[in-house]
This record gives sequence, C-alpha cells and structure tokens, in this order.
Amino acid sequence: MGTIGATLIRTGRRFLSSLPALFGVLVFTFLLMRVLPGDPAVFFASGPSAGNEEIEVVRRQLGLDRSLPEQLGIYLYDVGRGNLGRSMMTGQPVAKDLRQRLPASLELTLTALVIALIAAVPLGVLAALRPNSLIDHGVRLFCSLGVCVPTFVSGLLLIYVFYYLLGLAPDPTGRIDVFASVPPARTGFLMVDFLLAGDVEGWWAAARQLMLPAFTMALFVIAPLARITRASMLVSLGSDFVRTARSIGLSRWQIVVTYALRNAILPVITIAGIVFSTMLGANVLVEKVFSWPGVASYALDALLVSDYAPVQGFVLLMASIFVAVNLLVDVLYGIADPRATVV
Amino acid sequence: MYPVISRHLISASAVLLSATLIAPAARAQSRAETLRYVTAATVNTLDPNIPGSTREAFALSMSSYDRLVSFGRKQLNGKWVFDLDTINGELAESFSVSPDGLKLTFKLRPDAKFHDGSPVTAEDVKWSLDRCVTAPVLGKAQLLTGSLTSADQFKVIDPLTLEVTLPRPDKLALPNLATVYPIIINSKLAKSHATPEDPWALSWLKENEAGSGAYIVETFKPGEQAIAKRNEAWNRGSPDKPAFFKRLIIQSVPEPATRANLVERGDADLVIDLQASDVQALEAKGKLKVISTPQYNAVTFISMNNKIPPFDNVNVRRAVAAALPYDDMFKAALFGRGAPLFGASWADGRPPSGGYPIPQPVKLDLEKARAYLKEAGVPEGFATTFSFNVGQAATAEPMAALVKESLEKIGIKVDIQKLPDAQMSTSINEKKLPFFTEGIVAWLPSTDYFYRNFYTGNQRWNYSSTDNAELEEIAQAARFEPDKAKYEAEGKELNAIHFEQMFQVPLWQPAQDAVMAANLDGYVYQFTRQVDYRNLSRK
Repeated sequence: MGTIGATLIRTGRRFLSSLPALFGVLVFTFLLMRVLPGDPAVFFASGPSAGNEEIEVVRRQLGLDRSLPEQLGIYLYDVGRGNLGRSMMTGQPVAKDLRQRLPASLELTLTALVIALIAAVPLGVLAALRPNSLIDHGVRLFCSLGVCVPTFVSGLLLIYVFYYLLGLAPDPTGRIDVFASVPPARTGFLMVDFLLAGDVEGWWAAARQLMLPAFTMALFVIAPLARITRASMLVSLGSDFVRTARSIGLSRWQIVVTYALRNAILPVITIAGIVFSTMLGANVLVEKVFSWPGVASYALDALLVSDYAPVQGFVLLMASIFVAVNLLVDVLYGIADPRATVV
Repeated sequence: MYPVISRHLISASAVLLSATLIAPAARAQSRAETLRYVTAATVNTLDPNIPGSTREAFALSMSSYDRLVSFGRKQLNGKWVFDLDTINGELAESFSVSPDGLKLTFKLRPDAKFHDGSPVTAEDVKWSLDRCVTAPVLGKAQLLTGSLTSADQFKVIDPLTLEVTLPRPDKLALPNLATVYPIIINSKLAKSHATPEDPWALSWLKENEAGSGAYIVETFKPGEQAIAKRNEAWNRGSPDKPAFFKRLIIQSVPEPATRANLVERGDADLVIDLQASDVQALEAKGKLKVISTPQYNAVTFISMNNKIPPFDNVNVRRAVAAALPYDDMFKAALFGRGAPLFGASWADGRPPSGGYPIPQPVKLDLEKARAYLKEAGVPEGFATTFSFNVGQAATAEPMAALVKESLEKIGIKVDIQKLPDAQMSTSINEKKLPFFTEGIVAWLPSTDYFYRNFYTGNQRWNYSSTDNAELEEIAQAARFEPDKAKYEAEGKELNAIHFEQMFQVPLWQPAQDAVMAANLDGYVYQFTRQVDYRNLSRK
C-alpha cells in the first residue's frame, strides 16, 4: 500500500511539473497559427456573394480584429475555463468535437497497438532465438514491407481486397454502419458502449468496422516494435543470468519467457508508448481512407482552412496525452522491473 | 362495446403478425427507400446563412427549408438543369408582379405547416426575410443583388399575403428569393430561442432546424453525417405528394477512391465529387448511371493580375493567352469532362453572343505569342509564379505543369506554387498573386451579374483586378435594362472588351459528374452545384 501511495504522489508531482511544458505548447501553437499565412476570415466568408463587409463580420466574430496579446489573453482565459473555442469548420465548440472524436481515435489506436504488440513481440522473440536464420530474414522482410508501404496504400489495398473484391469487410465508412443504430453514448468507445447496452450484434458490427483500419495501422508499427524486441532479446539471451538459467536446466519456455523476455521488455514498453502517441496524432491518413471520425483528420482539415481553434485544441490535447502516456509508461516500468520507479 | 374491442384486437394482432413475417423484407425495403449520398465535404450548419456554411449545408437546407419560390428545370443538351427563367411558387401558392415592377405580392399556401405542425404565416415569412437582410448573415450580400436591402420592404397584408416593395424594377429580385439564403423559418420557435445578444437566433438555428421543407433533420453530426426523414405533409414539389425517399443519409467520406468503391458496390446511391479518372472508369464499366453536366454557371480561369507588372501590359496577357496548351490542359486536368471555352472562331472578330461565358477565339500559337511579347517590350520573356490551391490539386497540378512547360518555350519562366486553401484565398483577397488559376460561380448567371461581380471593384472576386471604366458603365447599365435586344447588344460589347483586353483567360466549365445507382431517377443540376434531394426517386 505504501509503495502504491508513494507512486501516486510521485505521479502527481510529475504531472504538475509537466504543466509549464503544456503552457508553453499552448502559447507556441497560438503564435504559430497566427504566423501562418492564410486568413480564416477570408476563407470562411467565401459564399458566392461575400464581399469585404462579410469578411469584416467574420473577422469580428472570430475576434481577429483585436491585437495579438489581447487575443492570447482571451484565449488563455477561455482555456482555463475549459473553453477551447469554436470551430468554424464544423460550427461546434472544439471541446465538444474533440470529446466526440477522441474516443474514436483512441479505440482505433489502442486496437492497432494491441494487434501490433501481439504480432511484433512473438516475431521479435522468434527472430532473436535464431539470429540470421530463415525465420529472422523472414521477419525482417515482413517488417521492412510493413514500414515502407505507406498506410494509405496498404489501407486502400486492404479495402480493395476485403471490401471491394471479397465483400468480407463492411463498407469502410466510419465506426459503424450508417443503417445501424448507435448505442447510448456512455464512454464514447463503441466497443464498450455496445457491451454496456448488451447489444452483441452491434458490438460485432462495430468490431468488423474496426478491423481493417486497425490492421492497416498495426502493419505500419509492427516493424519498430518487432525490431526493438529482437534487439533487446538478443542482449538478454546473451547475458549471464540466462546462461546460468540454462546451466541449471530450467525449461526452455521458462528461460525465454520468464527470464529473457521479462528483462527485455522494458525498451519495448518505451517504444510502445512513443508509438502510441505518434499513431494517435499521425494516423490521419488511415482516418481519411476509412472515413474514421477521429481527431487527426479533424485537425488536418482545420489546418488546411486556417481554422485556429481546432488546431490549437488538438495540439493541446496531443501534448496532454503525450504527458499522460509517458507517465503511464514510467508506471509500467515499475511493474516490469521493480527496481525502476517513477522519479 | 364488445365488437369494437375485438376489431381493435384483430387489427392489432394482424399488424403484429405481418410485422414479424415481413421484417427482413421491410429492412430491404427501407434500404430501397433510403437515399445514401456520400461526399468529401460536410454539412456544418443547418442554417445556410451562417458565415462559413459549406455547399453541403446549402444542399441540405434546400430540402429542410422552403423558400417563397423555387427555380424550374429545363433540358440543356439532353440533361436536366435548373432554369432561371421559370420561377415556381414553393411556399407561395401564387405570386404577382405589379405592372410597374415595383411590388411583388405573394399568396401563401393555406395548407403549409412547419415541422412542429404550426401553420406557415406571412408573419413567419416577414421575420425570415427581415432576418436575411438585417442580421449578420450571408443572405444580406446576396439579396442586395436583387435590390432587397431593408426590412421595410416586406409588408404583411393578411396572414397569408406578403407584399415586397422594390426601390426600382429589378429583374433579379424574384430569382433572389429562390436562392439558398431566404429560407422561411418558424419564427415563433426561433424567437423563443433568441437572446438579447442574438435576436435572430443565429446560434440556435445553426444546430436546430425550424423549417417546413421536404425533409426533417433527425441527426446532425458535422464532419460525419446528417440524416433526415421525409416530411409526409410536404406537397411543394408535385401536388399532394411528398418527396420520394423516406430517409436521406448524407455521409462524409473523405477518400475519393472509397467513394468510388461505395457507389460501385451499390452501398451508396449517389456521389458528385469523384475524381475524373474514377468517373471515366465507372462510366466504362457501364453498371452505373453517370450524368455529366457542364457547370453552366461556373467558369475556371487562368487569371492574371492586371495591376502587377508585367501583366499590366495587355500584350503580355495576349501572349500568355496565345501560349497556353488548351487541348492538353483540358485532357490532363479534366479528362475532357466539361465544356471548353477556347478554340472558337468568331466571324469578323466580334463576339457571336451576349451571353457569359462564351467560347473565346484563343488557341495555342507560339509564333503569335512571341510576337505579342516583342510588342510588349519583353521579347526575352520574364519570370513569374503560378499559384493554385491544394483543394484543387487534382485538376490544377497537371494543368500547372503544362502551363510551365509551354510558357517556357516563349521565355516565360514559371515557378509553380501550391498554396493551402486559406492562404490562397487570403493572397487573392490581398491581390498579391500575379498569375494563378481559380474558378467562379454565380447562382444567378446573367451577363451583367458576371461582369459586375467578377470584373469590377477592389474585391476578392475581381481576380484580374480589372479596372475598366467603360466595362463598368455598360455592366451597370445592363443590370436594369428591360429591353432584351439592347441587353444582348450590351452583353456583346462587354464580351468584346473582355477579349480585346484579355483580363484573364476563361478555360472551361468543368462538368459536374453525378455517378448514381442505375435505378436512380430525376437528377437535376442545380444552381448550388449540389444535389437537390427532393428531385430524386428510385425506379
């Protein structure tokens, strides 16, 4: 109990110490968006009859007629109250948009990460057990292919084969069939909401919808995970304690899994954390190809039309998630290796 | 008492029985009665008047709201398109224009009801039109083009009659009331959600629909989908009949290849924004219906800023016009899908018509281009940039490459600039781009409208920064010209000036490629360049 409490306190302290960084991100993104060429007022006042007067109206509505420090002050005050502003693009408050879209991105990214880990760790271990064998080369080839095919190509390919040719997958348009009914939104995670609503059929439909995009993303990140597993397994298999374990005649399974893998898993967790954060923000291509209503495609659309508030909200969200994931990784460290604790 | 109960019981059990028996059939039928439309864009507001409204928002509002009047349709080269010259009553059962052209009187349909069941009254119409000309909305600038500027112009005569007064006879006043913005809103409902800061309920109407249109919005998720159900009481299309489809699904699918797959497999019914190459492939397979309509109220240009040297020299502009590889661009950018505005021959060098746009007598002629450059005093050519926006990259990118290659031959070095959409519109508005491609569209495409809005004033739509006193004078005079023959003559004069000065080079009118299930019927090309869902039915 004492150690858990201590971990919690340290976690809280770590979180507090990351607040200045978040503030910096906030201000930096704010300034960056203003420096970018492109005037949102001109873009959004672009009806066939909009003239200079309409542009001025939009500019006033967006508060862009005020001075920069004044705008920043208002923005910080609003963010402090939990108001991230309003998106011109969707016409909705940014906080609401992000709240609706984040579960979609998280669900997809988490599933992809789980698939990737399930595939990558055994592949890496197999490759490490027989370095430079046919298996090792096979894994290397598979990883290289996964990394060098861009996600929009593999995504379109999977759609072509599984939806267009074979008809096995449902149409790749978002999280759920448009004709199906949505469960009452409790968590925003469809897989959870369907289970809470006791709708197994709906759950299965949503799971099918999730498979293609999740595999597309997983293919892309199997490589770093498998490579790091292989490398750290090699080190671990060559170390003294494994030799000792072998010499006292422990079973092969026990040697590989209990001793070697447990010690090799630390760098894999680190990489998994980084991969997760990156995937969440960078899976925009997958989201676009599968019409997935996630946060990344939302931010890209907003960036193209210089819609400031959503981009700023997105960067803030990503920064917070990055902080949270890194914290979580550190906590997991402690579980994987009791000697390591959150400092 | 007894027989009554038993009759109820029997009918109830019959309903139950048939419901269990036909459940799978009902599902299939509901699919047949649903229109699933997929698009790259998104509906972002339920009130089309909100600044920033997308074209998809316009399209949905055409179905969710009624206007006083609507455009008819006509056939153009065998395809149905909207007809500016036929105005039908929508909420107006009848309307009349006074002989002096200063008073429009609208008689409302007595049976028209809003979606909450309350009747549509002249009070609602007045409030809605007042809002359109008073509130900070998009409708204000549009209605201005029809001399509708003040709330005083709308007068309630009786609960079913509204009178509109004009300061001068204006032939665009009536058509303006059929455009997207002057929607008729349930004023009681809207007013109950108005606040002192927002007397016109802009923020409430953005997310809530209070109309009387053919479809009732059920779900509205910006960026994902909008779903609407049929308004059974609606009879504004054909008498006594609501729209055909019971349900309407408008879904955002950003990836064009996915949209093509969806419609080809029959999971989506209709799409209008596929890539030209996909359209061609689908058309060749012959399983789907493809209706290509040149967007006859839109033009794509290669524009030159007439104020930035060396494009301030008319001979430089003529040189560029003579050095563009028109045919290659048309094939590479549009796969030939559209109506070309080049390669015409004008007898005696005079424009054959007063319409706008008309095909120009321009063609690729490098010798002539070199001669013009020499005349302009820059025989060795010059360097410039050619810009287009990312959103149009699919067509503009191949076009830009061809422009660069061809102009290089006469010594003009072109640097291609691909700009994010917002940056492009900003630079155009600030008149910073010397040479670029852009498009225009007019909801009420008449010659004087085009010239007044796209060739005068220091404003965004005057791409070429044209400042020509003669052109402006003729265009202004043409606006209120009642005599058709005179109007035509003025139009010819404007076209002659345009060609003589070569402000910018009209290239083509791209086609709107509507790709739809083979059993879909009734598609009409609309002024919004979107689908009017009310027109469609399934055979």
